[in-house]
Amino acid sequence: MPREAEPSQNEKDFILKAVREGHRLDGRALDQFRQLDLKFGDQYGIADVTLGKTRILTKVTAEVTVPYTDRPFDGIFTITTELSPMASPAFEVNRPTETEVLLSRLLEKTVRRSNALDTESLCLVAGQKCWSIRVDLHVLSHDGNLIDASCLAVVAALRHFRKPDTSMEGDTLTVYTPAEREPVPLSWLHSPFCITFSFFGTISIGEDGEEKDIWLLDTTLLEEQLRVSSCTISMNKHGEICQVAKPGGAPVEAVTVLQCSSLALQKVKDLSDFVDQKLAEDSKHRNKGGLLAELSAENAR
Amino acid sequence: MFLRVICSPQLPASSSQIGRKNLIWVESNGGRYIPAVGDLVIGTVHHSAADFFYVTLSDYTSNATLPQLAFEMASKKNRPQLHSGDLVYARVSLANRHMDPELECVSPSTGKAEGLGPLSEGMLYSISLGMARRLLMRKSAEEGKVVVLDELGSAGLAFETAVGRNGKMWVNSKDMKTVLVVGRAVTETDEKSLAVEQQKKLVRKLVKEMA
Repeated sequence: MPREAEPSQNEKDFILKAVREGHRLDGRALDQFRQLDLKFGDQYGIADVTLGKTRILTKVTAEVTVPYTDRPFDGIFTITTELSPMASPAFEVNRPTETEVLLSRLLEKTVRRSNALDTESLCLVAGQKCWSIRVDLHVLSHDGNLIDASCLAVVAALRHFRKPDTSMEGDTLTVYTPAEREPVPLSWLHSPFCITFSFFGTISIGEDGEEKDIWLLDTTLLEEQLRVSSCTISMNKHGEICQVAKPGGAPVEAVTVLQCSSLALQKVKDLSDFVDQKLAEDSKHRNKGGLLAELSAENAR
Repeated sequence: MFLRVICSPQLPASSSQIGRKNLIWVESNGGRYIPAVGDLVIGTVHHSAADFFYVTLSDYTSNATLPQLAFEMASKKNRPQLHSGDLVYARVSLANRHMDPELECVSPSTGKAEGLGPLSEGMLYSISLGMARRLLMRKSAEEGKVVVLDELGSAGLAFETAVGRNGKMWVNSKDMKTVLVVGRAVTETDEKSLAVEQQKKLVRKLVKEMA
């Protein structure tokens, strides 16, 4: 199996030394994100997120199926992640790495378990028909911080998605094509975002030998290979924490986690505003001229 | 993207006439490093065995071998102790298809190191193969159109570099900030394929930020 080459000792020593003195290789501040970009596809429900050199593509699809027998009033909502060898030869198809398992688990907890999407609204006929919403996430290029970028991509794609309109008359269910009726957005309750903090040990500050944890935001792949532990906090812009995950690694002071969560709120607000702005731009772009243009009888001739 | 076309004065009339002199090379800066005899490379020691160090030249490829006696003044009793993760600057001495490449840190004719050997401290940056080739040109400023290192030097920064043909650049300096600035200047020149004037501007900006 091809393996990622370990960073050399020189790189390890240098990066740790630089981070301790507050410098990063690309000249960013310790809590600064890389250049973030979000593009929507021509179809509804396609989002392409670029964060530095990391690139994630998500696509949302919907189909009508039979609900699970134990949850007759709920629709089906699944998120599937795929880390293909395109992102890095270390990933193999059908053999999930630890990164992939962790990523899908975190997205599950953040988006699905926090009820961001109201699954009850996906029910069409109780116990018989419901919508199944499926999010496919592809990592096209891997340069660290997959979790934050993926979560943003999933949320943006779901908020951009429109499902076909339906109606019930007696006991016949009609699903309309986009030409017949304008597709409708999903019933979206809140937008959670993940913020991952990477810890790099402690430095002593002051003369009494007080220790302080050092952490970075939006780490590159190289920095990720060197961190001693990481902590992912998911919350929405109202400050409601959906989940906190700290999978192993070195212990971190409780105070640091509190500080991190307050900084996470600030970052989540930025990300939330960013997605709102991009969605508004996209809808403006799609709906040129607004309702007036649509109602006008004038044609291009 | 930096493309370089090298062609000989007379083009061959037919393919049977193609000799070494009549070839056209088109060099691009993408792709994976394929070792060739005589290339200077920077490798990471993966592990050592009885007679060899196993050295990683690029990700996802098999290791190259570096004989423990292929160092200046090395003997059975006195040979360098390299550990896993150490960097080494070496020359490719044997490169055959379907065989692991072999490296050396000593000139076989003179028995001198000629600048090759273990690299201590400093930082290793990954650059594209094209950039590495341009930096290694004899006249890298005129032919390769890279002036960042010259400009950084004339701006008063003191640093040393080693460039490996396998897309690696090692930078060292007493001052950590200098290493960061040199690394950023070269990687940015590489990624954005900056022209000479833009490189000068970038260096001025980075030096100003540093001060």
